[in-house]
Amino acid sequence: MNWKNVLRLMRVDRKSGRLLRGKLTKYRENKFFAYWAYWVALAIGLAVGVLVSWVYTSISAGDSTLQAQFQVGALSLFLSLPTLVLILSLVFTMMQQIQRSGVKSSSQVPYWLPITWQEHALASILASLLGFPLASIVFIGSAIIVFSIFIGQVFAAVLTVLAAFAAAFMASAITEVFRILQVRFIGAVYKSTGRAAVWVRFAGSLLFFIVFYAGYFYVTYGAGALTFIQTIASAQSTVWFIPFVWLGMTLFYFTSGVLLEGLAFLALSLCFIAGLFFLAVELNRRFGLYEPPAITVSRGVYVPKTGFLGRIGFSAVEAALLRKDFRAYTRRRELMTIFIVPIAMVMVPIMQSLNMANEPPLGYILSMEATIFLLPAFVLVLSLGSFIIGEEGQAVWRIYASPISPKNLVKSKYFFILFFALVVLPITILVGIVMYHPSLPATITAVLVPIFLVFALGAISLSNGIKGADFTEVPRPRMIRVKWSMINLIFCSLAALAVLAPFVPYVLSIFVPGLFAAFIDPYLAIAVSGVVAAVITAVFYRVAVKNAEELLSKAEV
Amino acid sequence: MNSAYAVELKGVVKRYNEILAVNQVDLNINTGEIFGLLGPNGSGKSTTMKMLLGLVKPDAGVVTVLGTDVQRDPVAVKQMIGYVPEAPRLYEFLTGIEYLDFVGDVYGMQAAEKKSRINEYLKALQLEGREGDMITSYSEGMKQKIALIAAFLHRPKLLIMDEPLNALDPRSARIVKDFLQELKAQGVTTIISTHVLEIAQAMCDRVGIMYRGELLALGNMSELRQMAKLPDSGLEDIFLKLTGTGDIRAVVEELLK
Repeated sequence: MNWKNVLRLMRVDRKSGRLLRGKLTKYRENKFFAYWAYWVALAIGLAVGVLVSWVYTSISAGDSTLQAQFQVGALSLFLSLPTLVLILSLVFTMMQQIQRSGVKSSSQVPYWLPITWQEHALASILASLLGFPLASIVFIGSAIIVFSIFIGQVFAAVLTVLAAFAAAFMASAITEVFRILQVRFIGAVYKSTGRAAVWVRFAGSLLFFIVFYAGYFYVTYGAGALTFIQTIASAQSTVWFIPFVWLGMTLFYFTSGVLLEGLAFLALSLCFIAGLFFLAVELNRRFGLYEPPAITVSRGVYVPKTGFLGRIGFSAVEAALLRKDFRAYTRRRELMTIFIVPIAMVMVPIMQSLNMANEPPLGYILSMEATIFLLPAFVLVLSLGSFIIGEEGQAVWRIYASPISPKNLVKSKYFFILFFALVVLPITILVGIVMYHPSLPATITAVLVPIFLVFALGAISLSNGIKGADFTEVPRPRMIRVKWSMINLIFCSLAALAVLAPFVPYVLSIFVPGLFAAFIDPYLAIAVSGVVAAVITAVFYRVAVKNAEELLSKAEV
Repeated sequence: MNSAYAVELKGVVKRYNEILAVNQVDLNINTGEIFGLLGPNGSGKSTTMKMLLGLVKPDAGVVTVLGTDVQRDPVAVKQMIGYVPEAPRLYEFLTGIEYLDFVGDVYGMQAAEKKSRINEYLKALQLEGREGDMITSYSEGMKQKIALIAAFLHRPKLLIMDEPLNALDPRSARIVKDFLQELKAQGVTTIISTHVLEIAQAMCDRVGIMYRGELLALGNMSELRQMAKLPDSGLEDIFLKLTGTGDIRAVVEELLK
């Protein structure tokens, strides 16, 4: 194995992910963004470590029983960390993989440069390990090492960091195996399903996301995370035969001073990681150059679409753009993730309630109601609006070169956002009503306010999505520049606060009965909220048209 | 349309920061002419073509296409133009037929007309049977054919084509060349940019050679031969002499060392 080749390939992969759009059409690499995540993770980790240590020394000073309890608790946490890092890394690397663009794999340099499959597989595994998984290890590692100095568990903390790194590598290797398998076997599924392949892919991708997120939220969210850590710490020895807990078992035996078993599990862990790596190499060798079969969507006589959109007031240009976008969001896997947003938002409170034994407090219920009623609208429209221009990618020249006016473009894109959001919202609202049984005024609010948000935030996100569109496609579609993504988040948050402001007295009156009693009329609040949303919508729709004029006259690809 | 010219550029200047991409270009292209726009990489051809499409605003000068000021009404100008960029990226999640249907709709074609033309072109360029497949599975040549059909589909009055014969098989390339000659007879103007100078020499009525943002030479083959003082030479020799890039032998010898 040529290690320099591995490093070179990793560098190319990471650099491609760090390219930022500069002025005009030139690209530049931003070194700050290259490493900031690790520095921030280190700073936060050290701060958390110092804070926890200060709490520990303040509370347990002179109390040996409490100190012992702290140490046992800390050790339990250490033992669960490798498995926790493995799950987090697996989720992140899988999501990263899914969002990669569908550019043909055979166009990648390893296929025509003198690079071995081992080098290619190792570089691919390590490259996906960098970023969030490594930053999370830096965060966890710095926090527990600082804390371990105060509780005298430095050896255990260092071993935990090493085990966490190995766990992240394991996760990344699993993702590499998954990547190759999905190319090969999903290709075979498409071939066998024929014309239904597009819908099989759509349904399959959504199902994958749902199962994935359900599991993820169940084990990591809120009370579930604590239960999960406790379960791993106490029960991993009963499931010792599962390879994913072998690193935790290694840690357990080493920290308990049982060296022989510790060495045995260490050997098993290393063998498992090596096995995953060789599996990834072998699959790359066999299927790395595999081209998925063509998906045939239609056969027979071509019949041009006539109609429905024209009858509801769209011009031929606008209707064509809408049909294209509908196909994009049901056929491009990296765009299908948008459909999971509302599903995930609904899952959070459901998973939370599953993890709860007692009746939750009122404040908690309110926050969950807000999550299920308002958050899907907020996140969905924010994402969709900011992506819907940049998702055109390099094919945007078609829009530039065609007789499409700025008004055509904005109208069709805005309607697509509204259409999609207004189809999804009734489902999330219905789930919320079934779960929380709100009163009549609250139900009316829960139905109307998300709609107000969709209109207002849709216009804001679209205007920012046009202004900050990023048509870069490799290694994954960027769709919006980082700066404009941040600006959009701030604008949308402020606009959402403005739309929700009329309801503040009502919410406060729940916690302090009698307060603002004179101002509480839910129907008046709904009306004021609607007016605020209408004004924001009108202003930002015009801004979007202005931005579209600029976009179409600049031809930036 | 008031002008006899399909395309008029008057004193056109375009600057990108310190780089002068197009410098004081004056150019008239006749209606029904096949015009070759040539030049080395970075000479300003693409910027000029983008200005014709209204995609880049000139810093100075006026660009008129088919009698319309491009900056005043870019949508109307685009309606009359068929454009094929170099290595066109298509919507790969659409099938060939869906892509052409989309383009037909964008140009406001009637359903029946769109259907018959799409079918004719697919048959002529031998894409029948694959039109229902997603474009992602197409070869480069097939994608180029789809891009060409998309440019021809609405019967434009002006065709702007960057390397139109790229990746085409010989049969399809011949069909496209003959088709452009037929369109010329019908009064359609074509602007071709290519680095394959044999194609330019064989197809174009006149050629403009751009170099460092300026229009270095303009004319038909005999006029260009006179300018270069190379009476019996082909376009390649003329091009290399006029652009001052004729020191090929020395470069090759250096490479062989």
